[in-house]
Parts: sequence; structure tokens; C-alpha cells
Amino acid sequence: MTLDHWLLIALLAVGAYGLRLAGLIGGQAILHNAKLKTLLDDLPGCLIVALVATSLADAAPLTWIAAAFALVVAIVSNNVVITMALGFAAMFGLQYFGVGV
Amino acid sequence: MKQGFYSILPFAIGAAAYGFAFGILAAQAGYPWWGVALMSFSVHAGSSQIVAVERFGVDGLVIGAALAGIALNLRYLGIVASLSAILRGVPLWQKLIAIHITGDENWALTMARHAKDPQIGAAFLIGSGLTMITVWTSSTALGALLGQQMPDLASYGLGFAFTAAFIAMARAMWRGKRNIAPWAATFAITVLLMKLGMQSAYAILLGSLAGVGVAAFLRRGTGGSIT
Repeated sequence: MTLDHWLLIALLAVGAYGLRLAGLIGGQAILHNAKLKTLLDDLPGCLIVALVATSLADAAPLTWIAAAFALVVAIVSNNVVITMALGFAAMFGLQYFGVGV
Repeated sequence: MKQGFYSILPFAIGAAAYGFAFGILAAQAGYPWWGVALMSFSVHAGSSQIVAVERFGVDGLVIGAALAGIALNLRYLGIVASLSAILRGVPLWQKLIAIHITGDENWALTMARHAKDPQIGAAFLIGSGLTMITVWTSSTALGALLGQQMPDLASYGLGFAFTAAFIAMARAMWRGKRNIAPWAATFAITVLLMKLGMQSAYAILLGSLAGVGVAAFLRRGTGGSIT
């Protein structure tokens, strides 16, 4: 492992436990702070959408088709593992059968 | 505690499948199996680890990857804060362990059981948390162990499996029509920034903040309602 690999683990561990500890100490004050609650409610969803956007921004049309399929699976199943498995299968299938897009 | 240990098992099986796939991804990003085990045990936040390692694998920027992962964990402020009543009266050292082994699944199960039966509390949370961190650490390490011996799975579309996982995570976070405008703004601005040549780590941050800004603006228009 390089220094960067170690650093990523350390930053994530400190960040994750720091947030949990802040939740333990801040307790009810956090739950009743309207501005903070807005941020807590909205930021995770926006982050995930942004991650999907970066994955698709420079991707081929084939990937967009697979993403649309994964979205339908996600809406119907609301299950991460099923969406991952079927999304991967769709992508693999589209590549394997050489869909020309 | 024993009750919590066993009740969470169906959820743990789902997390193991997800953890196994993450382990493969982490191995392809250069992590040995013990490094993955160390990360899973010390961070214990699945989606955050996946986001950070996926980002790290794409552009190699540690700070950008860590920021994305940590920001995704902001929800733990609210999750742990909501445990105040359940953790009241528990010794401090147990509280400090309980908050580390609390994840989405065992938190949700504990809260649901506690609502039905107030006797269900810290012991259940800790028992179910111990199952989850054990399964998460071992399944991710196993995935990495096997992933090291596999060819470059990215060429088979493994990267897309995580795009699909992010799509499913977004689905789970969907709270109704109020998400449409912020999410559409986030998506459009992030794609635009990428097309303009910005690095993905910064595009993610700016795109997300733009979405949060739109959400805050819309809430002001509805008199600050947050439901």
C-alpha cells in the first residue's frame, strides 16, 4: 500500500468516527437545528446524484442505456444488491452482444 | 444482545454481497486484503468507503475521495443523535463502541423494534452492530483476496456495477417530488462541469452544493417546510 492508500483509510476513519461522536455529543441540538437538518437531508442525495453524473458524463450511449435500465430496476426493487447485479449483467450483456452504440 | 446478533442476519447477507463486490473494487484500486479489512473495521461505513475508493481509483486524489466519502457520512450526525434515548444510561465506553458499530441497517432495525417494544435498546443495537461489522469486514477482505487474482474487471463493466449501486442508493434516498429540482440541478451542473474539463472530485462537490442551494431556495419559498 502506498502512503496515499494509508492516508485515505485514516481520513475516512477519523471523519466517520468524528461525525458519529458529534452526533453523540450534539444529540437533540442537531435534530432541532433547522439549517443543519436541511443540509443533512439534502446533501447525501445530491452527492449520490453527482456521482452518477460523473460516471455518465463522458460515457458512451451504451452506458447511458444500462444506467436507464438500472434506474428502472432500482425504482422497482429499491435494493442495492439487486440493482448492482442486474445493472452489471445488463452492461456485460450489451458489451458481449456488441450493441453498436 | 443475542437477539440483535441474530435478527440482523438477513440484512447482513445483503451487506456481505455488497461488501464482496466492494472488496474486488478496492483490490483493483491497489489495496491488499488486509488493507481492505483495516479500512472496513476502522471506517465501517459502506457507501462512504465505496464512493471514496471508486473516486480514488478514477483520479487518484486522496483529498477529493475522502471529502466525498466523509460528506456522504453526514447522515450519521442525525442517525447517532436519534439514538440519544436508546443510549441513555449506558456506560460511556459502551456508547463509544456502539456508535462505531452503528450502520444504516442495524440502526433502522433497532429503531423499528424499539418503537414496538421499548425494552429493545442498547443491547440489541450493539448485538446487531457486532454482526454487521464482522460480516462487513470479512466479506470485503474476502472480495479483495479474490479480486487480487482476477483480471482487470473494469473492462468487463465492474465500474458500472457501482454506478448502478449509486443509482440504487439515490432511489433509497428519494423523498418525493421535492427532490426533483435539486437532483436535476445537481445532475445537469455536474455533467456540464465535467464537459468543461473540471476534475470529477471538484465537479461532484460543486454540483452537490448547487443542488443543496436549489433545495434551500425552494424550502424558503414554502415557508421553510422540511417535510
